[in-house]
Amino acid sequence: MTAAAERSVIYSTGSGPIRMIAPNHRFPKLPYALVALGVLCLLVGSYFGLFVAPPEHFMGNVQRIMYVHVPTAWNALLAMTFAFGCAIVSLFTGDWKWDARLEAGAEVGVLLAFLLCCQGAIWAKPTWGVWWDWDPRLTTTAVLLCAFIGILALRHFVDDPVKRATWSAVATIIAYVDVPIVYYSVRWWNSLHQLQSSPATVSSQFYLPLRMNAFGILFLMTGFIMLRARIASRRIATELAPPPADLVGELA
Amino acid sequence: MNGGYITGGWSFVWAAYGWTALVLASYGISLILRLRKSR
Repeated sequence: MTAAAERSVIYSTGSGPIRMIAPNHRFPKLPYALVALGVLCLLVGSYFGLFVAPPEHFMGNVQRIMYVHVPTAWNALLAMTFAFGCAIVSLFTGDWKWDARLEAGAEVGVLLAFLLCCQGAIWAKPTWGVWWDWDPRLTTTAVLLCAFIGILALRHFVDDPVKRATWSAVATIIAYVDVPIVYYSVRWWNSLHQLQSSPATVSSQFYLPLRMNAFGILFLMTGFIMLRARIASRRIATELAPPPADLVGELA
Repeated sequence: MNGGYITGGWSFVWAAYGWTALVLASYGISLILRLRKSR
């Protein structure tokens, strides 16, 4: 029996929720601890980025936007990679918890990608003279954001949990094709956007705020995904629960 | 802009950091509210 067929049987018999959806409550406080740790890292990293690190030679103080923009970019792609992994596991195993995790990863990925575009626009205005340009990096990022918004819309509008899980997993795998294109777009095409920033491409004085904020958003993102997966798990469990006995009696 | 060098620009920096904080905080609060509602 395929994973999707097994999922259909579980759905139709109503025996699935207990097996599948046991939201991870082994560490109920872990997501909150991660969020708190993320906020702490972001506060320290932003303090160093805003007040301690020197201004960049050509861009001056505007370059300080890098300390939030680059970590947001890294983690947006990471969240979408997580959603991609969940989509594959969900398709092959038919386990509902991976469907819930897919939804969580996709939503947090959209949040970070949206934030990324906003930060990029704010940085672009003083450096490029425009808020937005249809350059390869920006265009592929916009396509990625729209594709993942489409996946969330698909999940919102499809009521059947089995179809929703299968269709959104396939859509996530297709949408994920754009992630490596986004990453390599600045190398493959002539782009206004600079090459990827890494410790090899920035001054050592910029390391600390960049890394602190990268870990800050990583912890925050992980906490958010865990909390969002719990919400999705509870909704799926409700959808899969067998109807009340009195309703079954009425229908019979 | 001054001879290829960008001067000032703190307003853009504060806008980027402020917007980031606002969006992340709003999403965090929405998660807590949705989590409570789902119980």
